[in-house]
Amino acid sequence: MTSPDITASAGGVRFLGDRKAYWRLLVRGAGLLMLTLGIYRFWLATDMRRFLWSNTQVDGETLEYTGTPIELLLGFLTAIAILIPVYAAFFVAALDLGPLGRWSGLIGFLALFVLGQYAVYRARRYRLTRTIYRGLRFHQGGSAWRYAVCAIFWWTLTILTLGLAYPWKEARLERFKMRNTYYGDLAGRFDGTGLSLFLRGLPMWLLIFIPLAAGVTALIQSFDWKALSDAVAQSGDDVLGRIEGSNPDLAGAIVFAMLATGAAVCIAALLYPAFQAVLLRWWASGLRFGEFEIHSKLRTAQVYGAYVRFLWYSILFAIVAAILSIPVLLLVNVFMGGADASVGKELAGSLLVLIGYVIVALGYSTIYRATVLLSLWRFTAESLELKGIAVLAQVKATGAPSSALGEGLADALNVGGI
Amino acid sequence: MNSGTGIYFDGTTSARLSVTVDLGPSALRILAADGRLLAEWPYAGLESQSAPDNILRLGLRENKVLARLEIIDPQFATEIDARADSIDRSGAMDRRKRANVIGWSVAATISLLLVAYFGVPALAGRLAPLVPRVIENKLGAAVDAQVRSTLDTRKAGAAFECGNADSERPGRAAINKIIRRLETAAALPAPLLPAVVRRREANAIALPGAHIYVYQGLIDKAESADELAAVIAHEIGHIAHRDGTKSVLQAAGLSFLFGMMLGDFVGGGAVVVAAKTVMQSSYARDVEASADAYGVALMNKAGANGRALGTILTRIGGATEPGMKILMDHPETKARVAAINAITPPRTVTPFLDAAEWAALKKICG
Repeated sequence: MTSPDITASAGGVRFLGDRKAYWRLLVRGAGLLMLTLGIYRFWLATDMRRFLWSNTQVDGETLEYTGTPIELLLGFLTAIAILIPVYAAFFVAALDLGPLGRWSGLIGFLALFVLGQYAVYRARRYRLTRTIYRGLRFHQGGSAWRYAVCAIFWWTLTILTLGLAYPWKEARLERFKMRNTYYGDLAGRFDGTGLSLFLRGLPMWLLIFIPLAAGVTALIQSFDWKALSDAVAQSGDDVLGRIEGSNPDLAGAIVFAMLATGAAVCIAALLYPAFQAVLLRWWASGLRFGEFEIHSKLRTAQVYGAYVRFLWYSILFAIVAAILSIPVLLLVNVFMGGADASVGKELAGSLLVLIGYVIVALGYSTIYRATVLLSLWRFTAESLELKGIAVLAQVKATGAPSSALGEGLADALNVGGI
Repeated sequence: MNSGTGIYFDGTTSARLSVTVDLGPSALRILAADGRLLAEWPYAGLESQSAPDNILRLGLRENKVLARLEIIDPQFATEIDARADSIDRSGAMDRRKRANVIGWSVAATISLLLVAYFGVPALAGRLAPLVPRVIENKLGAAVDAQVRSTLDTRKAGAAFECGNADSERPGRAAINKIIRRLETAAALPAPLLPAVVRRREANAIALPGAHIYVYQGLIDKAESADELAAVIAHEIGHIAHRDGTKSVLQAAGLSFLFGMMLGDFVGGGAVVVAAKTVMQSSYARDVEASADAYGVALMNKAGANGRALGTILTRIGGATEPGMKILMDHPETKARVAAINAITPPRTVTPFLDAAEWAALKKICG
């Protein structure tokens, strides 16, 4: 009988990754993204996942990502092949002046939303079946169409309730995903409840919506509705002027409403990291595999720290970009400045401006990935406390790898994924 | 060093096994603590898997299970690496593969740009004549409804279309005379649907499905019926070439090429928009140039003065045009006039309208 190794470092989750190595990977990736106008994204996504997975150590053993860029590329091409007839059908339907044509925009939006959710679920399946731990793969069952229908229902409810149903949506969809998630033959589940997330999120929701509601109320009350309808009913120009004349409080109310909205937006931006911390804690603490339980002690300050780091690097980058842009802009001026610039010079100048813009945009996205996203991954992983870890040593292999179609669809529909 | 230690996962259970690894002549042998042989992996089939930097993680190619052998001792890892060509610890093989991919991606990008510049207009040009009239008419009706709702300002209580009031009828008869003469010369497959509309700009537009809108501003600027006729002849050129349908096909082709295949990265949206705008402007310049040529030829065929197009273009366009050349959807006026004059021999012509008819046409919008 072979004996389990006892020297391996004991329990818990550790992140071994070197931040500098991740920076290198991302910066090189950004350069190649620009050079290939985005085709490199399949390679970059695979590199990022390999790095994150293989540097995350659970109970002394690291995860392994076995997906390949070619799989993602093929998934994307397959998705394109599926989407062409869909887009063509909408194009033709839009020409039709019948009821179908009139509603084709809405129908198209709904169809693409459902397809997007389908893709999200399938993409998760791809990622799970490419995740190996201790020589066994994770996998995911369940119907992606059922998930999509479920998602559209809960999203609608969330929008109709101004976000109050969001915790239950999250809980319901996460339960759906985790119930169908397996590590080998060990079934997962999700124990987080919508209510507990709701109670933690409610104060933030109120902080944002109270000023917003106050602004809207002030606006509505300042209207003298009868005078307003009279003003609109009178024919002729300058409707706005007459509305103002009949509603003396209106100007003040508009200013107040704008200030209230501004305050709500600022509060939302400031609270976002705290919200993310609450959500991540709640999510991670709900994950279960049989008797294996996870609890997260992610600190809110850590998430704020990640964003502060992002701001710091962004400011530095902005200064450097501004300094470097001076000679480029001078060059552009040389190209396009003359009254009679040729088409070739115009093209060269525009190209320079465009390249500059792309470099700046890619720079910010790289900084975001290397600060916020990496830190969130790392802090969440390291905040986990594992219970019943012994279960993980006695799992048997099941499940087979799935295709990358979902990733491709998610990519083509821009619903995240890669 | 022919033997070392490792950690082994057999791929059927998650149990972690401490093993001894013996390096044989052509295969490595994985032995349990009690000496039992767990697996024998030929060097040729070994694959290194993604792992933290300090660990060599091995798998066997085309293995039915995901068995993994992990070596921590760097010296022993080097020993194994030396025996198996397929292990790519330094990442050199992966880099070579990637350089290849990057080369091909750049080639693909260039090829897509070439397809967009040459292929899309050529394809749209070939496909447009194949689009059935029924569909083109539907497209025309849809565009027409949209154009009417954007152009019609409904101001001042006057009708959008000119020529329906009693005082405007003679003007309408005059413009119909111009259009009939041009239409006869053009011999189009479907009748034109012309209208004069109350807009201040000096312009005229053609839509799919043979709609032509002449703006009031153009009639105001025109100094003779021939000039007006020349612009209408140019618009008939758009209809004869089915340019409306062509541009819809071109836009769809460009959206597909750039929107779907390329540019899915942060900042890529701007690249796509810029490339599409520059390409579409370039198509439009070609389209306008060939509509000019058609219009002049049509004027000549109808026995009228083709140079009138150049005259009115110069008056409307002025000497210099502001803005960037690569964004202009018309060629430069100077170049257009030169091209028009080059294909129009000076000769005797029959004017479209007499002075009374022209005066009536000038008053078509009251």
